[in-house]
Amino acid sequence: MPFFFLNPWFWLGALMVAAPIWLHLRRKRETNLVEFTGLRFLDDQPEPRRSPLRLRDLVLFALRVLALLALVAAFAWPYLRGANTAPVKESRVYILDNTLSHQANDGFTRDRDRVLSEVSKGPSDIQIAVIELTSVPRVVVSFGENREAAKQKLKELEPSYQRGSYLPAFRQANSLLGNSLGEQKRIILLGDNQENQWTENVNSPPFLRNVDIELPKISALALPNLSLSEPRVQRIFLGDKSLVNFTVKLRHAGEAKTANIVLRANEQVIFNRAVELEKQPETILLQAQWEADPAAWLRGDVSVDGTPDALAGDNRVFFSLAPVVEGKVALLAQSQYLRLALSPEVMRGQWATRVLDPTKLAAELAGSEDADVLVVESNYLQSGDARKLLWRYVTNGRGVLLLVNRVTPSISGCLRDLGFEAEGTVSMEKGGAERFQFVYSNHPIFHPFLSPDYGSLMDVKVSKYVQIKGSQAMPLIFSEKGAGLFFQGTKFPGKLFVAAFGLDREHTSWPVDQTFVPFLDLTLQTARAEDPTPTTFEPAEISKIQLPVGSAVKEVSLRDERQVLSRAPVEQGRTQVRMPEKPGVYSLTYDDGTQVEKMFSVNPSPKESQLAYVDAPEALKVWRVNLPPGTVNAAAVAARGKLSLSGILQQHWWWWMVVGGLAALMLEMALADIKRERV
Amino acid sequence: MATATQTLSERFDPKMLAALEGLDFKARYVMEGFLSGLHNSPFHGFSVEFSDYRNYQPGDDLRHLDWRLYARSDRLCIKRYMQETNARFYVVCDTSASMKYQGGAAWGSKLECAKVLAAALTWFLLKQNDAAGMVTLSGESEVPEYIRASQRPNQFGLMLRQLESLRATGGASLSLLLEQTIRLVHRRSVILFFSDLLEPSDEVARGFKQLSFHGHEVIIFQVLDRDETEFPFTESRLFEDLETGVRRMVTPAAARASYLARFNAFMEAHLELFRSLEMTHCVVHTDENPWRALALFLAERKRLK
Repeated sequence: MPFFFLNPWFWLGALMVAAPIWLHLRRKRETNLVEFTGLRFLDDQPEPRRSPLRLRDLVLFALRVLALLALVAAFAWPYLRGANTAPVKESRVYILDNTLSHQANDGFTRDRDRVLSEVSKGPSDIQIAVIELTSVPRVVVSFGENREAAKQKLKELEPSYQRGSYLPAFRQANSLLGNSLGEQKRIILLGDNQENQWTENVNSPPFLRNVDIELPKISALALPNLSLSEPRVQRIFLGDKSLVNFTVKLRHAGEAKTANIVLRANEQVIFNRAVELEKQPETILLQAQWEADPAAWLRGDVSVDGTPDALAGDNRVFFSLAPVVEGKVALLAQSQYLRLALSPEVMRGQWATRVLDPTKLAAELAGSEDADVLVVESNYLQSGDARKLLWRYVTNGRGVLLLVNRVTPSISGCLRDLGFEAEGTVSMEKGGAERFQFVYSNHPIFHPFLSPDYGSLMDVKVSKYVQIKGSQAMPLIFSEKGAGLFFQGTKFPGKLFVAAFGLDREHTSWPVDQTFVPFLDLTLQTARAEDPTPTTFEPAEISKIQLPVGSAVKEVSLRDERQVLSRAPVEQGRTQVRMPEKPGVYSLTYDDGTQVEKMFSVNPSPKESQLAYVDAPEALKVWRVNLPPGTVNAAAVAARGKLSLSGILQQHWWWWMVVGGLAALMLEMALADIKRERV
Repeated sequence: MATATQTLSERFDPKMLAALEGLDFKARYVMEGFLSGLHNSPFHGFSVEFSDYRNYQPGDDLRHLDWRLYARSDRLCIKRYMQETNARFYVVCDTSASMKYQGGAAWGSKLECAKVLAAALTWFLLKQNDAAGMVTLSGESEVPEYIRASQRPNQFGLMLRQLESLRATGGASLSLLLEQTIRLVHRRSVILFFSDLLEPSDEVARGFKQLSFHGHEVIIFQVLDRDETEFPFTESRLFEDLETGVRRMVTPAAARASYLARFNAFMEAHLELFRSLEMTHCVVHTDENPWRALALFLAERKRLK
């Protein structure tokens, strides 16, 4: 708060200084005076005696002077920042990095002990504040806080698994220093200088002005580390078998040659064996499959063990999977293969299929019992009712699998409305059928096919297909000639999948391929409306949970295996839950019930596992305000004169002088009143 | 007349007058109360008088047709009238600082009293189709505020605004006011002079003489407070002159006799001056009914006719 005439403190000071003067002047008014007209007839009367300029009441005078001096001095005090009066030479903010990466080689514990030592032994003319860098930086110790209390708070800090960024911590430190008293201002980063923490905010505009920054010295540009990340789990049905397909990324940096992987699910060890790391890429995708009860929750974890490994906190990741709930399919297709694949004999427990009668679509339209997914062949779209039904599904957030086995002008128009352009039909003889050339394997439908157990999609042939271009769609399968064969529409809230061919032998060999039923199942699973609440979180992340419509739940509870960790009230069908700081699998229950409604897995951010460091971060140069030469001294002087409210109020002398001045004023007034009464 | 005045005095309420907001109301209160209280009003019969004839023109009001003349001479003639007198009156008001004095018994300051009287008289004069104007000095400046004598319908409002704006803030300015009056009022007029005359200057006497020399009739309303004429103070006090700021420590018991002697001598000197100049002089006290002054004025006006 610089000194200028709009400063309210200046006006308050001026008012207080003016008060005794006004009181003095007010009393100077004569009470015995008569204003008259005929003084010319009284000029023989004596003239009044003039008061000599002498002090008549020493006590009153002394009190007035004392009040004035005390008030003026009090207001001048914060501006007298010389060597004798400045109580604080340096204001120092420690940013204590408590992200997961800083646990490497016990970095956090070491730095916490250092701050404790500084707080204990630091001279009294150095102000110290400590900011803990986590996902949301927080001030652990503020300026002026009692040192014993500060030490206690620091001792209570535990290593966290969170991901944090340096930028907000530096901003907060800069803000603290802006309200500090020290002539010198310094930020000391007690962290690991992790490269990605510096680079992710390198484009932030400059904000650090007149602040010294001390960075940690790094011993190596990288540390060896084994870590697991991105666990992914899906259910797949092969015949009568209900399988779980699991993938996880193993990242290794350093000299580790082997790593032991242990996979547990529902308290059973699924997998326990060593993995060779030599000559392997830095990131390896591990995959596992096992049979699991589709009606039960699945929870588990996978861990890696090996040496050298500087960071143990990222060696274990958790996962969970909800039980299968039977879905509903509305089928409007002639394909016998499709009817068979969706029949209760094949899809019992997974999908209940209702075959729609093309002659009774009007009744279907009149009803309101939509299935989860509509599977329809394009030749039915010549009917207006079929088109209306399709439109209703895609606009209401339901899933649609559209098989384009025929194109007519009306069907082309319908496809155009859906964001596709049909450009003609390609048909080949039996020997010239095209195979799938490219499949988007990272898509949830095709991800499990990375495992050879489900067969190879590359064996599927297409002999007749419609050339489709999707302006608002993402192609997922291409033919050998580069034609798009399978698409996911992006125009509608509902998930729309479009195949450029019918699922019969006239068009493709897929219905008789072993990948067909898993593909159909995965497509239907992906197409059906999902629970919008994500199931994987980072530590301490906030989860917004939307409860089912009409739910009467008043409170949700987050639990681990043993106890309730937190409760949150439900307002208007929504609630907000803060995930625990420790990785693990946590369940959500409603009200006082114990039935698991949702299950969340909390895993650390994979970025924290990248133990690469920088010595002189570029970001810090960008964040600093570069002053032109010659302005440094002026800026330093300005900074010295710059004051803050908290700074002023923290000076005890200031308060005592204000109180003293006011007390002197009160005494003076009381004394003057007594004297006036006597007169 | 004496009985009527006495009755009127009983009806006069100084508190009422002081409570009235606005000079207009005060003037009407004073003047209308005064007129309605007169049993033998000297103003009855004021009307238009016959002047001459002119030939009848179609459209003329038949009420003004002289039927007798028609009967005699067989001519249709319209009677023409001339309004009665058109005397010019000028209100000249002193605004020196001494005029703001108000004693304990007064219903207003001397200036307020002068303003009410002047407004009442102006209202009356304009009602009687006389022309009224005004000369004053505005505040401490020596620039005069002059309103030319007129009998226009808005003249009363004009003068009333000017009177209301008067503030007793100037120093000794009586001689200057007289000088400006002589300079501004050229035609022979009646000067209604409102002042306390508490200004020791030979120039004041010279000013009155010059007014008389220029043929103006002057009626002087000397507004005084009872404190000034009787000096009723009892406690020893510090007295400060309103105009000069001179201070005196006065013990009234000892100073009263001397004060009254000197004050009376001063008044005598003025009376002598006004007698010699044949000017009408009326002392108005701020604690008494102003109707006495009005009665004097009306008597004097009759004389002037």
